[in-house]
Amino acid sequence: MQRKYNPQLTYWLLVLPALLAMAVFYFYPVSRVLWMSVTIPEPGLGNFAQLANSHSINRMLWTTLRISLISTALTLILGYVVAYVITHAEDRRKRLLFMAVLASLWISVLVRAFAWFALLRSDGLINQMLMGLGITDTPLPMMWNEFSVLVGIVHAMLPLAILPLYSGMQSIDPRLVAAARGLGANRRGAFWRIFFPLTLPGVFGASILVFIYALGFYVTPALLGGGRKMMIAEYIKVQILEVVNWGAGSMLASVLLIFIVVTLAIVSRLVDLRKLFGAA
Amino acid sequence: MEDQSFAEDFAEIMRDQDASGMSRRRILQSALAMGVAPLAASLGARGVLAADKPEVVVVNWGGLAVEVFQQAFADPYNAEGGNMVIDGSGPLNGKILTMVQANDVTWDICDAGVTTLADLGPKGALQPINYDIVDKSKVVDGMTYELGVANYFFSSVMAWDSDKVDGTPSPADFFDTKKYPGRRMIRKDSQAMLELALLADGVAPEDLYPLDVERAFAKFDSIRDDLLFWSSGSQSQSLLRDGECVMGFLWSTRANMLEKETAGRIKYTFDKGLLQPGLWVVPKNNPAGDEAFRAIASMQRPEEQVYVLEQMGNGPANPAAAEMVPEQLRSANPADPENRKVQATLNADWYIEHHRETYQAFLDRIVL
Repeated sequence: MQRKYNPQLTYWLLVLPALLAMAVFYFYPVSRVLWMSVTIPEPGLGNFAQLANSHSINRMLWTTLRISLISTALTLILGYVVAYVITHAEDRRKRLLFMAVLASLWISVLVRAFAWFALLRSDGLINQMLMGLGITDTPLPMMWNEFSVLVGIVHAMLPLAILPLYSGMQSIDPRLVAAARGLGANRRGAFWRIFFPLTLPGVFGASILVFIYALGFYVTPALLGGGRKMMIAEYIKVQILEVVNWGAGSMLASVLLIFIVVTLAIVSRLVDLRKLFGAA
Repeated sequence: MEDQSFAEDFAEIMRDQDASGMSRRRILQSALAMGVAPLAASLGARGVLAADKPEVVVVNWGGLAVEVFQQAFADPYNAEGGNMVIDGSGPLNGKILTMVQANDVTWDICDAGVTTLADLGPKGALQPINYDIVDKSKVVDGMTYELGVANYFFSSVMAWDSDKVDGTPSPADFFDTKKYPGRRMIRKDSQAMLELALLADGVAPEDLYPLDVERAFAKFDSIRDDLLFWSSGSQSQSLLRDGECVMGFLWSTRANMLEKETAGRIKYTFDKGLLQPGLWVVPKNNPAGDEAFRAIASMQRPEEQVYVLEQMGNGPANPAAAEMVPEQLRSANPADPENRKVQATLNADWYIEHHRETYQAFLDRIVL
């Protein structure tokens, strides 16, 4: 009797350990959070009513959404330029540019936030330079506001945008642009009508990745926002650990989770998610 | 084996007496007098006795405090056969509650404040202090609570940058941005900040409680655009040191460090400040049981508390410590009689009743 080889079963067995680990260490705690949001302090949707009633929650959600959207847009624009340059650079320079991008990815967000503090504060390098050159008389308010938070977040997320954008651009056949030029398109026309549309899937994927990351930023806004620009992650932390209002904290965590899942669900209707996140 | 268990028993009696006021030297003397010389030696060093005393984990907020608490509290306690460990991981209220609810408490004594009583008391997460073991007479009047006992004092005070602020500003000037333009910083917490605003607005210390929360909010609202919020002591220190703020409400310990490290550029005053107790609390079902209270009693020794003052600026909670404080440290001691005169003192009952909704309202109205 020869046992029949069942590839389906083998695949499942290989996936099983990872799946179990996810179930125990991820899905179970997350479902607990969802459960807490409708049971603490009393069963019902009381916590979710705060979304409509609470002034600070409203402001905080709006700040979170606004900062995430603006920083995603800025990151994409800057990242696109860098990815374009890397794609078209010769090999040696390409390696150097990659090193620069990755080095910033590997430096802790905490260190990067402090570095921006040193640059942006009133007695900081940039203000000293501007005043030394006589461009301004008084230090520019670059710290403790939305500007500094955006600078910090965009800086932290640039590598996350550059890498998928680069991988998209790299797979574009360079002869297509050359063909467009040969057929009489000028440089701008060739870029906007041939190259750019081909990079759109990469742009889309990078935006989703960056936007979802931005929603959860904690250290950067906490350090660079001077306490005023509280985003959802910090607000949840305050509710769970300081005010000890687990109902509101778990409700906001659930809102964030549901929002991200719904966003991904909508996006997946429009594009192939597997392609976005690297599967060929 | 027989001898050892006798010695152990003796040591335990001695330690209990020690907790109720007998000095270490007297224990050693009586041990010698009774002819238990080996015991006298073992009291001086961690010996076999350490093994069967339960480990007592004291959790504080890290940094310098770990080392200082080790030297001030743990070393003397361990020298007498105890086993105290200092953990600097920060006993946030939410963390204590998580441990208690998960029935997995690893902390015995937490360095907390009145907000812990307010947030965790009603949730049943704290053990009542056993005042048969902890000595009430070794704590300044009124600073012993059912669920917590004062271990040191700290103050919230006003500090300013003398490079940018001429003369000595009064606390009322904190809210006068015309007279002294520039950013101000306060803590991202209603605790003590509301009191300082009301005191600056002319409320007398004895009329402070119940707090007129609305009036304090209006005060902060008037300078909202110039406010920054700090969330850790080190952050408050760097904001003033780096010139990001011209004035600030912060802890006296940090203000004192600032004055030293900037050679007097940053100045502070206890005038119209608020004296607050740092409390020991014991989480429900703590692993060491009653030994935690013996450890607290051990930490009531005035000389240990004065050492903490010398190293970190926390004022001793034991009134007997007042006269042991060296002359040059008195001006920086938040609990010094001279400094107490010009400050108000926090009322824990008000906090237990109102802190939670006030803190949330502070976030709603002032911070965001």
